[in-house]
Amino acid sequence: MERQARSRRPSLAEREERLAYLLLLPTFLVILLIAIYPLGKVFHSSLTNQRFASGEQVEFVGLGNYKILLGLTIKELPPTIDEQTGKPERNPETNQIEYVRPIQVLPRQPVRYRELGQFSLLGKRYVIGASDRDFILAIGNTLVFTIASVFLETVLGLIIALVMNSKFKLRGAMRAVMLIPWAIPTVVSARMWQWMLAPTRVGIINVLLQKLEIGNGQIPFLRTDAWALPAIIAVDVWKTTPFMALLLLAGLQLIPQDIYEAAEVDGAGKVRQFWSITMLLLKPTLAVALIFRTLDALRVFDVFQVLLAQTRYSMATYNYYQLIGNREMGLSSAIGVIIFLFIFVFATMYIRLLGVESDE
Amino acid sequence: MNRTLRNVVSTGLFWVILAIIFVYLVFPFYWAINSSLKTEAQLQMTPATMVPVHPNRGTLAPTLANYRAVLGNLTFARGLANSLIVAVSVTVISLVLGAFAGFAIGKLRFRGKTVSMYLILAMTMFPQVTVLAGLYAVITQFNLSAVPGMILSYLIFTLPFTAWVLSSFFRGLPSSLMQAAQVDGATPFQTFSKILLPLTTPALVTTGLLSFIAAWNEYLFALTFTSIEPSARTVPVVISLFTGEIARQEPFGEIMAATVLVTLPLIILVLIFQNQIIAGLTAGAVKG
Repeated sequence: MERQARSRRPSLAEREERLAYLLLLPTFLVILLIAIYPLGKVFHSSLTNQRFASGEQVEFVGLGNYKILLGLTIKELPPTIDEQTGKPERNPETNQIEYVRPIQVLPRQPVRYRELGQFSLLGKRYVIGASDRDFILAIGNTLVFTIASVFLETVLGLIIALVMNSKFKLRGAMRAVMLIPWAIPTVVSARMWQWMLAPTRVGIINVLLQKLEIGNGQIPFLRTDAWALPAIIAVDVWKTTPFMALLLLAGLQLIPQDIYEAAEVDGAGKVRQFWSITMLLLKPTLAVALIFRTLDALRVFDVFQVLLAQTRYSMATYNYYQLIGNREMGLSSAIGVIIFLFIFVFATMYIRLLGVESDE
Repeated sequence: MNRTLRNVVSTGLFWVILAIIFVYLVFPFYWAINSSLKTEAQLQMTPATMVPVHPNRGTLAPTLANYRAVLGNLTFARGLANSLIVAVSVTVISLVLGAFAGFAIGKLRFRGKTVSMYLILAMTMFPQVTVLAGLYAVITQFNLSAVPGMILSYLIFTLPFTAWVLSSFFRGLPSSLMQAAQVDGATPFQTFSKILLPLTTPALVTTGLLSFIAAWNEYLFALTFTSIEPSARTVPVVISLFTGEIARQEPFGEIMAATVLVTLPLIILVLIFQNQIIAGLTAGAVKG
């Protein structure tokens, strides 16, 4: 039907295409104006040893920055040999074989590798070294943070959106209330949480947990390895669930009510309706919401910077530290590009899996 | 009988879930209000109290000193005005451009669609810290002062967002609507502005609100661009630079008072627009 119309009046498709380009023009002008130069500059300086706010000679270093950031190596750890018996030494208490210190086998030139972890395989002991351990750990932190917080936000956001989508008294007020966490500036809300998570009973979380007989009211959440990441994730989930919920709510609004009525007539149960109508029709909205949440989570900055300072990095706070603290502009640009690549991979994955681009 | 019982249980359960959601979302904000009504001494009390109480007598003793300090602070008022100008302009521009782009991507057929989508998204894939230096160079190159500079640079994150979200909503509208309008002799642009755009009101309001808040709360760009022009500082920057007049160290009570004052207009804004978020789409109009 459409095709016939098009072949009869070939100008229609052309007109449509021309209109599309015309409508996209302003957006691309903006991109040209404010994005091309800064982004191009990032790519370029990631290949140099440029320093921030410095007059030093800039040299082209190729992929050197990336090699430093992502350099990983695996070396075998030989056991320490007892000089008298010629056999491996054993720990007198545990009777475990003792190995040489990782620093003795990890490369030291041109950059020093640091130990990331050890593992045993087929009776041999290996050590993993990284030329920039802090960055590799930052990647790990960021990925754990992203996956955990985006997952929780999606589930909670969906529940909230479904609740808000049903009719009840005070719905309008609830909808305004729902946005409060997102409405508070992150710089401030991070400080607020820092206060609530204080390591003494000045902090409400410690007071409440103590009432529930968890801990002694002195838990240093942000200074304990086991607590730090979960605490940050909890703060971020609280902060950004409204974003998710509001977007999904708008998506739910677009699902016509009569589809449910038809399904009801056909005898489809509520669960069936949820999966084959609600979730199916919500998929495009969900995909876009996921893309933008993941994108923000992968470059998470404020909460890490305020709450964990320099004890644990995310990719973006490490980036900030290299740029402002060490003035390593080239290196920090390379970190930016790596973050960009991570985001790109995630975005493409969502687009493919949830079929955003497919028309109809 | 059985049915009414089930109704009572499910209604009860619904309100329980609602109550949990409410407490979860609101409690930290309540805590900000609570802290904003406390003096420095009350803030340091252990265990922390649910309401401001007198340190010795244990009676209710809220103070308005923090609010007085914040409201008496002229830079705070100026910050509010700056934030408002920046956030409103950013929202309007990104909604208009985003709706154009979103309609083109969501409903029109043209070559290079996928590339366009990725290009728009790629614009916002870099961490803010990284693009800061380059963006600053652009702003200086164009000789822009801080406020237009912020407006332009915030588009880096709001425009891809509005364009993408709106494109997914346009795509969700049935093509039969467009075809019907075309048969009636409407041009594609008329179809867009007269028929499809009104149908996406919930999406427009939602993305508008989310972009507004994102621009309202932006910190790093604002801090950098206003460093040589303090009069253009937006609220988050002003708050973060509070030095405190009644407390010597970080004036936490004042920061919380400012937070409450900044958040209230947004809540009012949502209350005004919330009916549009759930604009009752007439089922008949979108029959696919």
